Amino acid sequence: MSDTAEKERTGAPQLSHARDFSRPGFYVKLVLMALVNAFGIFGILASLPGDDWPVLIFLAVTLVIANYVYFSKRSIPAKYLMPGLVFLAVYQLYVMGNTAYVAFTNYGDGHNDAKQPAITQILKTSDRRVEGTDTFPVTILERNDQLSFAIVRDGEPRIGTQEQPLQDASDAMVDGDRVTEVPGYEVLSLGDIQSRQNDVLDLRVSLSDDPDDGWLRTDNGTLSYIAKSSLTYDEEADAFTSPDGKVYAADPDRGLFVADDGTTLTPGWRVLVGVDNFSAMFTDARLSGPFFKIMLWTFAFAILSVLTTFALGLGLATIFNDPRVKGRVIYRALFILPYAFPGFLAALVWKGMLNRQFGIINQTLLGGADINWLGDGNLAKLSILGVNLWLGFPYMFLVCTGALQSIPGELSEAAIMDGAGPFKRFRSVTLPLLLVSVAPLLIASFAFNFNNFSLIYMLTGGGPNFPGSPIIVGDTDILISMVYSVAFESGVKQYGLASAMSIVIFVIVGVISWLGFRQTRKLEEIM
Amino acid sequence: MSHQVENDTRLKGSRWWKEVGWKHILAVVVIAFCVFPLLYVLSASLSPGGTLTGSATLFSEVSGENYVELVNTNFPRWMLHSLVVSTATAVGTIVMGAAAAYAFSRFRFVGRRGGLTALLIIQMFPQMLAFVAIFLLLLTLRDIYPFLGLGELMGLIAVYLGGALGANTFLMYGFFNTIPKELDEAAKIDGATHAQIFWGVVMRLVTPILAVVGLLSFVATYGEFILARIVLASPENYTLAVGLYVWASDERNAPWSVFAAGAVLAAIPIILLFMYLQKYIVGGLTAGGVKG
Amino acid sequence: MRKHFLALAAAGLALTLTACGDSATPETSDPPAGDTPGTETSAPMEDAGTLSIWMDENRIDAFTALGENFKTATGISLDIIEKPTEDVKTDFITQVPTGEGPDLIVGANDWVGDLSNNGVIAPLELGAKLDGMSEPAVKGFTLDGNLYGVPYAVENLALVRNNALATDTPATFDELIEQGKASGAQFPVIIQQGDAGDAYHLYPIQTSFGAPVFTTDDSGEYTGELGMAGEEGVAFAEYIKKLADEGILSASIGGDQANQAFMDGKSPYMITGPWNIPAFEEAGLDFAAMPVPSAGGEPARPFLGVQGVYLSSQSEQALLANQFLDYMATAEAQDTLYEESRRTPALEESANAVDDPILEGFGEAGVDGDPLPAIPEMGAVWTFWGAAELSIVDGSAADPATAWNTMITNIQGEI
Repeated sequence: MSDTAEKERTGAPQLSHARDFSRPGFYVKLVLMALVNAFGIFGILASLPGDDWPVLIFLAVTLVIANYVYFSKRSIPAKYLMPGLVFLAVYQLYVMGNTAYVAFTNYGDGHNDAKQPAITQILKTSDRRVEGTDTFPVTILERNDQLSFAIVRDGEPRIGTQEQPLQDASDAMVDGDRVTEVPGYEVLSLGDIQSRQNDVLDLRVSLSDDPDDGWLRTDNGTLSYIAKSSLTYDEEADAFTSPDGKVYAADPDRGLFVADDGTTLTPGWRVLVGVDNFSAMFTDARLSGPFFKIMLWTFAFAILSVLTTFALGLGLATIFNDPRVKGRVIYRALFILPYAFPGFLAALVWKGMLNRQFGIINQTLLGGADINWLGDGNLAKLSILGVNLWLGFPYMFLVCTGALQSIPGELSEAAIMDGAGPFKRFRSVTLPLLLVSVAPLLIASFAFNFNNFSLIYMLTGGGPNFPGSPIIVGDTDILISMVYSVAFESGVKQYGLASAMSIVIFVIVGVISWLGFRQTRKLEEIM
Repeated sequence: MSHQVENDTRLKGSRWWKEVGWKHILAVVVIAFCVFPLLYVLSASLSPGGTLTGSATLFSEVSGENYVELVNTNFPRWMLHSLVVSTATAVGTIVMGAAAAYAFSRFRFVGRRGGLTALLIIQMFPQMLAFVAIFLLLLTLRDIYPFLGLGELMGLIAVYLGGALGANTFLMYGFFNTIPKELDEAAKIDGATHAQIFWGVVMRLVTPILAVVGLLSFVATYGEFILARIVLASPENYTLAVGLYVWASDERNAPWSVFAAGAVLAAIPIILLFMYLQKYIVGGLTAGGVKG
Repeated sequence: MRKHFLALAAAGLALTLTACGDSATPETSDPPAGDTPGTETSAPMEDAGTLSIWMDENRIDAFTALGENFKTATGISLDIIEKPTEDVKTDFITQVPTGEGPDLIVGANDWVGDLSNNGVIAPLELGAKLDGMSEPAVKGFTLDGNLYGVPYAVENLALVRNNALATDTPATFDELIEQGKASGAQFPVIIQQGDAGDAYHLYPIQTSFGAPVFTTDDSGEYTGELGMAGEEGVAFAEYIKKLADEGILSASIGGDQANQAFMDGKSPYMITGPWNIPAFEEAGLDFAAMPVPSAGGEPARPFLGVQGVYLSSQSEQALLANQFLDYMATAEAQDTLYEESRRTPALEESANAVDDPILEGFGEAGVDGDPLPAIPEMGAVWTFWGAAELSIVDGSAADPATAWNTMITNIQGEI
């Protein structure tokens, strides 16, 4: 039936709360919408002072749509969809969008922040103490809102500011090696120093007119030392220069300060790098080698995981959907035990149990057998599927138990009349009906296992490794754990690359699932 | 259906074995499979010291001191947080998911098919890198709605509700479709609005699937620690899963025995909840409702 | 049914509300550091400010005690935030740029490269206070001439002996294996490996073959050049094969299994670190720690891990934080941390005051130790290194020399 025809049928004028003032539902709605509007307007007002334009626009548009949806008598489906969709947009679509954006940047170790912090950090690390010089207890003074350092050097009190290099201050009062008072200046207390700590930390007082002599600075407000910078930053040229004349110019394409000889300064900053991360995936020779092997296993793992868990879950659900079995309330509760324990704990325990030398499976159950469960490629794959069966069947059991309730008893009874045996009854009546509501979940479960990073990571770490491979991947690695190996495990995290790879994996899973859905639609039409 | 079944409980002898008895044996086998790894955890939780997986000997020592020790940690607090977050998320998921399923099942509108598929496909996005985005998002939200920001249980619940529409909606959608539309039509003729049909007619008939979805959502939230540990920055705010994960995260110094005791206690609410919900999941409500 | 459902919803909502009120209370009573500059000036010594500091669970007790002493001394309080062990560094790197990071972070010295590469830590100037610190501890936190952390404890592997099974330890590793076999225990010596390999625990043996991970220059700093390439490295690779054939090394002996086996008296010896002291004591073992005997002729040098405190490059309270870092370098602070964490203090004055035969044994084993290398690529080095050693151990690599040389190529490719 075409959508338009449907619409004509169900879209006929209906009574709506919005129009019917006599019903209490209308007032409930009014109160709820008042709250929603208050919430939205509060958010808009709160985001006005900051320059949160995207947030503000999102809030305003959402609010307008919400009011339209709930006060119009049209758009009835939207009334039911809107709450979930708003959460979906904020917490899921935003995450996807953000990841997609990161995929086009060089965000990662070494390119962790914006450009300005990078410049500040380079200046900070290059501004260091001149080796072999003394430290001086420092007194911090203030006059006309300008800060000064006062120290005792060569037995004489001296004072200086950011602009004024150190000069003698013969009228200062000195106690030992510390200046206690200078006429005309106010001595800052510890509390004052703390409240102006950034000014104090930024203060550099030159030792003399010659910049090569260096300057005084303090890190803690009580002790100062002589420092010099090995790099100077020229804002005009957007470049750093070292004392020996080497120039590090900003390279906006790479997010780095680079010298002519190719040396760079750390840290760099985040920049957009276009499709570099995507093309790196196809040009990286380290990836192409194991890629197909891993792809194949990823599919095998995901499909087999779904089939095994579904088969066991459905089998148990059907068998124990039988009131004649006494104690099935307890049985069912125990069946979902694996589901009730934290997954990472289960993986840890299984890993211990499958240990070749010490594990309880080899030691006790198999009477001292020497089976290399996790160290042999094929056995490791089998072990992973086994553990995933343990972890996953309670979910399928629950879902199937619930879905079985939707199958009218009349159908089964009719089949019994036709003389169908229990197996035939199950296959020709129960299973097809069940699949209509459960098939999409099987596809979702496939997608989940396709990206089931934590199980692989916890149980085998992808091992046993392919010996000598230039990236550490192994027999049980799936695509997503290979992404992890490539983008993170080298010790240098490349969020940009990892994001690009996640997107590619998402496209693969998405297309396969979409094809799967088209199949289930046919299934539904048959029913 | 139910009265016919009652008579069969009197089965005797070989027929009983053939139709019912073997199911008990099967149940015992499956339970052994389920419980066996967890004996390790139980054993470790009763042993005063030692490792979780270092040996193949179970129950060499038995003492309750690890359980006593839990009281002095943040554990009771974490448990409370977990129950609050999971309950709120489950309720939110049921309401929003059922509403969406109702719309998809009962109305025909542009993009219905595509929207349904899109919902599920969006949830397939690999979440491995979500932590960066979620962190930034909650940072922004904190400036506008402090209670939805970092370190807030409400913030975490909201993050979880972002996943309310997805596989669960599908499960409910499938179930809603099996509720005859004639019931809606009849109610409509009686003058009921669409909202009254939803709350008063449909929701009553789909209890089993609401219970299943509620349980699934509760369990998933209860065990989730990847997003939770980003949102809940400090131990006083943790949920159980995050707390246990933190305990286990340092292989070298992990307090395994206390950790195991925590895991055992953590499983209890799930079991209780399931036992309580079972009667709604498998009860005869549907049949009764449709007939009535 | 519907009534019931609504009741459930209402109960959930009520719970939510109470919980929010609950969790909000500590927030308001303890405002985030840096947001309240006004209060600091009014009462400098009473409440001189708050520094936030991140660490993993194991250090909480030590730093809580230290924080109390520091508060008494300066009026500055420490807001200690516990993070999962494996998240401390990652979270720090991602959160500092957003302004959400803490002022300080406690961690091991091998984070220096990664943290400075990301520009999230600030260089420190301790002046004369450094003189009292043990040299490797300072070196461990120094990168390109900048000091990035204040060290407080040093830890390293040693040979731990179960005195019930052996009383005198021979001078070479081969003799030790013979002695261990003669003792009748299941294993002559235990060295943990696990399914990803463990280059760290094999390192004392490796260095005794004269094959350090990187070569060092005159001042003892690591050069970027691999020291384990060449025939010394290959000789070590062959030795791994020998140990594996003897049943000493195995992928199935991970950390848990190793500890349990040693505590069960299945071996007279184990190569392990001071973190296991409490467990061994609790198990009632009579044990001693000593240097690892040489296997290849040269002295066995384990890695030295140094624990210390880093300063965030975007701390808005760098001044207060520096006061804390100064305090960290005092004997009082190092003594406090020693009492709570039981690791050799980095300050020599405090280290000399330690009276604990087992810790002294560990100290002796680490006398010539190499600091854990801090270059950012170290992550890649560890994985390839462990994987190659594991492939020799489990026999998946037929020839140790080939496996070793492939590893060298792969590591060089990564650096």
